[in-house]
Amino acid sequence: MPDSVLSFQNVSKNFSGLRVIDEVTFDVERGSRTALIGPNGAGKTTVFNLISGVYPIDQGQVLLDGDDISTLPVRQRINRGISRSFQNIRLMPHLSAVENVMLGQHSHSRSIGSLLFPLGWLPRNRWAKQAEEALAQAGLGTYPGEVVANLPYGVQKRIEVVRAMISEPKVLMLDEPAAGLNEQETEDLRLLLEQVSERGVTLLVVEHDMQFVRRLCDQVVVLNFGKKIFEGLASEVQEDQAVKEAYLGTEDVGDAA
Amino acid sequence: MLLVQQLISGLMIGGIYVMVAVAFTLTIGMLNFLNFTIPALFMLAGMVAWGLTTVGIHWAIALLGGVATATIASLIVERFTYRYMRVRYGDATEHALPLVSSLGFLIVFEHLVLIVLGSEIQRFPNPFSSADFYIGGLIIGIPQLASLVLALLIVWGLSTMLKRSRVGRALRSIAENPDASTLMGVNVNFIVPVVFIITGLMAGIAGMLFTLNYAAVNAYMGDEVAAKAIAGMVIGGLGNIWGAIAGGLIVGVTEVLAIHFFGADIVKIPIWGLLLVLLIIRPSGLFGHTAIGKGKF
Amino acid sequence: MSGYWAGIMAILCFNIVVAYSVFLPAASGQLNLGAAGFVAIGAYSSGYISTDLGAPMLLAILLGALVTGFVAFVISFPILRTRGVYMVLATFAFAEVVQGVFINLEVFGAAAGYPVAAFADLNVIVPLTIGVVVFVFFLMTTRLGLSMRAVHDDEPVATLFGVHARFTQVTAFTLGGVVAGIGGAIWAHNFNYVEIQNFNILLSIFVLLYVLIGGTQTAFGPLIGAVFFTLMPEALRVSEEWRFVIFGILIILMMVVRPEGLVTRTMLDRIKGPFIRRKPAPVVDS
Repeated sequence: MPDSVLSFQNVSKNFSGLRVIDEVTFDVERGSRTALIGPNGAGKTTVFNLISGVYPIDQGQVLLDGDDISTLPVRQRINRGISRSFQNIRLMPHLSAVENVMLGQHSHSRSIGSLLFPLGWLPRNRWAKQAEEALAQAGLGTYPGEVVANLPYGVQKRIEVVRAMISEPKVLMLDEPAAGLNEQETEDLRLLLEQVSERGVTLLVVEHDMQFVRRLCDQVVVLNFGKKIFEGLASEVQEDQAVKEAYLGTEDVGDAA
Repeated sequence: MLLVQQLISGLMIGGIYVMVAVAFTLTIGMLNFLNFTIPALFMLAGMVAWGLTTVGIHWAIALLGGVATATIASLIVERFTYRYMRVRYGDATEHALPLVSSLGFLIVFEHLVLIVLGSEIQRFPNPFSSADFYIGGLIIGIPQLASLVLALLIVWGLSTMLKRSRVGRALRSIAENPDASTLMGVNVNFIVPVVFIITGLMAGIAGMLFTLNYAAVNAYMGDEVAAKAIAGMVIGGLGNIWGAIAGGLIVGVTEVLAIHFFGADIVKIPIWGLLLVLLIIRPSGLFGHTAIGKGKF
Repeated sequence: MSGYWAGIMAILCFNIVVAYSVFLPAASGQLNLGAAGFVAIGAYSSGYISTDLGAPMLLAILLGALVTGFVAFVISFPILRTRGVYMVLATFAFAEVVQGVFINLEVFGAAAGYPVAAFADLNVIVPLTIGVVVFVFFLMTTRLGLSMRAVHDDEPVATLFGVHARFTQVTAFTLGGVVAGIGGAIWAHNFNYVEIQNFNILLSIFVLLYVLIGGTQTAFGPLIGAVFFTLMPEALRVSEEWRFVIFGILIILMMVVRPEGLVTRTMLDRIKGPFIRRKPAPVVDS
């Protein structure tokens, strides 16, 4: 049995009578780069929200390292090593790039002493240094002090990824990280994520760009109308009949992948 | 008997609180905006009417002039508050922007009136000085009774208008979802001023009735009334018109009874204390179902 | 320094301190329209400690601030359950309750007012004020300050990065109470007479305006707002009423021109930009 870091067990979620996640079970292997794909409205972002605790689940269990986290409050889940980005940019608009990234470090600094640590008054303290280096590594080294609301979309999108990965979580969940990026930026992002993955971080990625998924990910979970229709190796997904049918008329997975 | 008399006068003043509370609750419900200019509009109606009588204009025309001034002032407020709020994105405190502007207008209106008309309490000519009648020993002032009836009629008419008419439906769709209603072809730039016209009319007519009842005006007459009306609105639940009616009447009666039994100074604690508790444990009000405005400014 | 300027200076210090007391919760997204209530608690408690209990003035000021902070801490739990308009109304109601309590307390002279013996001159007030300003500037650079600004911008997302939103807001509100208490103590020991009528809704409104006009994004905001709106009327040689009219018009125009406040992060960037442009970190080739 493979070592799974995160596991969805028979999870269901209803929104006002509508079943958006229907008895979904899947495992995310430790150290894997798993893609979560499916047509629009399949419930991908809802899965992220259920894992991070934005919504409570109605039925089933979410296991992180074998422990059921589905009843824990959001903060405790984060502190156990979950981190995520958002489909629509949710950076703090009035904070600078480096401050947004430092927010991502928060789960590593919970003592009173570290809460009162003057991040801004000690110019090259270890938190700021780490954040600036992470930004530089993502090719954003020119923006650390600027307020993010004034930065271009592609840059904001990548700052979000940096903010999510800075805490080196067990599971890094990225919601459409490549959306809106050009070809070069997408490729840079992929290389960055591979580096993160090599440091032992498990990736769980929602993405529409099939080429990106095929190049980055080794495992794939496919959702359709809240049901899991495929779970397995990335190389096998395009052969699967159910997946082909789900994408028929929207996007030809065989062609794209 | 004295108690019944007190109850009656509580209901009379409650009628005025009802109108002001409805003005508050309407802007919060429709536009998510706590409009602090309402006390100023209320005062403008009374003070401008008094100012007009001093230059020899008939009291009735003067009162209409006061209400008209309040309505126009309300439209000026709209131009500088809500219209700017709509074009901003943002977070919690940025939504405080129309609230801040309305505080600015409150200061401007009150002090302009102080400059032009002075700060003294002025007597308004009382056209119905001896128009009381007696029922079994109870004194009922005709102007007070008329203003209670008028206030309730106007609020009833307003709520019918909101339910039935096309404008009313458009207003309610904005209250429920501003973005979707813009998409569905509701012209927000046309419909929002309607809210402010109604606000101006409600506050202005309330000010007019107050002036008629008490036959006295001054530049601060709106402040106390507005505080009571806000209390009434909270009791009824923010954004709830029928709640504001009940709340306004409750405040009127409670005020009169509490002063009668305990004196004016001590009543502040239980009244505002209860409001505080109500806001915290039951933000939808005593009868509430709506909780519009929660989470936003 | 002439008595006139000393008086203005004292008022300026009071306004700055109270503005910071409203700024702290505002920086974490909470609007407080009840500043007058906290200031009143600080004024009466510190006045009582120095006059009736005979404590040294500085100790009385400190204890008054702590008492106010404690009240703010206790009240913050129910108050912070409310949001937006509800919070504005709840803090307003709280200040009204405080006013109602003090006006009926015979030990504080009820409506007649309460005389305070010890006098705080500018040698006490100015250092206290500078202390408060430096403290808030320091606080805003810490991780706690970062959490406050994150909660202000987007509370759910801040939570998703492990920020304890409730803890952050309670702390900000409590510290705001402590600072308001210092403001009240300054008032009590400078005017030597505490009348509840001075701590009315107008004070709460004006202080909230200083903060929102100055800007809640940086610690410069309340300082600029309080200084500008305290000194501007003195510079205008017109009657009291006209000063208020101009004040109101400025508020309205400011909201049209600079709705995020006078001082914003973007503006600070522009000012800093040409002088201290930070050297970009080396770009690591990936």
